[in-house]
Amino acid sequence: MNSFLRFFYHLTRLVLGAVFIYASLGKILNPGAFAKIVFNYQVLPGELINLTALILPWVELILGACLLSNRWMTGASSIAAVLMTVFIGLILFNLARGLDIRCGCFSTKPEEGPMDKLTLLRDALFLVLALCLVGLTYYKKTVYHKNQLYTV
Amino acid sequence: MPMSILRQNLPDAFREACFIIVLSIIAGLAVNLARTDSIPFIQDWSTEGRLSQDNGDSLAIPLSEAKTLFKENKAIFLDARGQELFNEGHIKGARSLPWHEVDDYFPEVIKGMDRESLVITYCDGESCNLSHDLAIFLKNMGFTHVKVLVNGWTVWGENNLPIEASDK
Repeated sequence: MNSFLRFFYHLTRLVLGAVFIYASLGKILNPGAFAKIVFNYQVLPGELINLTALILPWVELILGACLLSNRWMTGASSIAAVLMTVFIGLILFNLARGLDIRCGCFSTKPEEGPMDKLTLLRDALFLVLALCLVGLTYYKKTVYHKNQLYTV
Repeated sequence: MPMSILRQNLPDAFREACFIIVLSIIAGLAVNLARTDSIPFIQDWSTEGRLSQDNGDSLAIPLSEAKTLFKENKAIFLDARGQELFNEGHIKGARSLPWHEVDDYFPEVIKGMDRESLVITYCDGESCNLSHDLAIFLKNMGFTHVKVLVNGWTVWGENNLPIEASDK
């Protein structure tokens, strides 16, 4: 991997790691408020709302920590890409339905305001970064394995 | 991405993703058990469940009752939807207090309102939570008689009750 790709790999993992950790904190601190936001999306059955509100922020926190520390990168980058795809799908679905709800992406407080096309654009940018990171991580690992094979 | 790279890395990605998810499940559930403001793992999110208060009473008000109070001019209706939707149409005489901008609108909207007066909040949709959140907020702000007309805008219109649009 050349130095530019290496730099871009570290930059994307650090940016996405910080974003996921930042996004998780408010939700972990206010599980009740986040459960209400999950409910407002109106896509999950009632039985899964609180479980999602309790577990999802920890997925974000742990995968953010993995990205920052450069550990379990194939798994963490893949989850990041899957999560961003799901989030974008949910935003599109609710914008199409005309639901006036908060994103709950970075805050559980009402001041965050309802989600709009800018929310979608922001998440699309994160998805592009996540997909780049998946590509670079998989590529880096494959090259590393090949090099090891040849040096044995 | 070439298929060979993808194929080669997928087992690792799957295994690591499973680790991360299992860790998250354990952490999420364990921390919730340990904290003082924990939430139940499974909660009743039905309309009745959401609107029932700690004392067992419900915040919900039936349409028939809201209609009577409206006709007798004994209640103040607060529209919790966004300002644009309010301008397009609202219950006649209702005031706009959008939940998403409650801090900005609240001081102006409650001017001249008695905190003892009966307030009915509404939004649109069976599972719309804006009116519920607004009702809880009003109660916390000292309003003693607050009710929620569930799916208010829709049921009001369906029953051909008086509505109006805003010129703003």
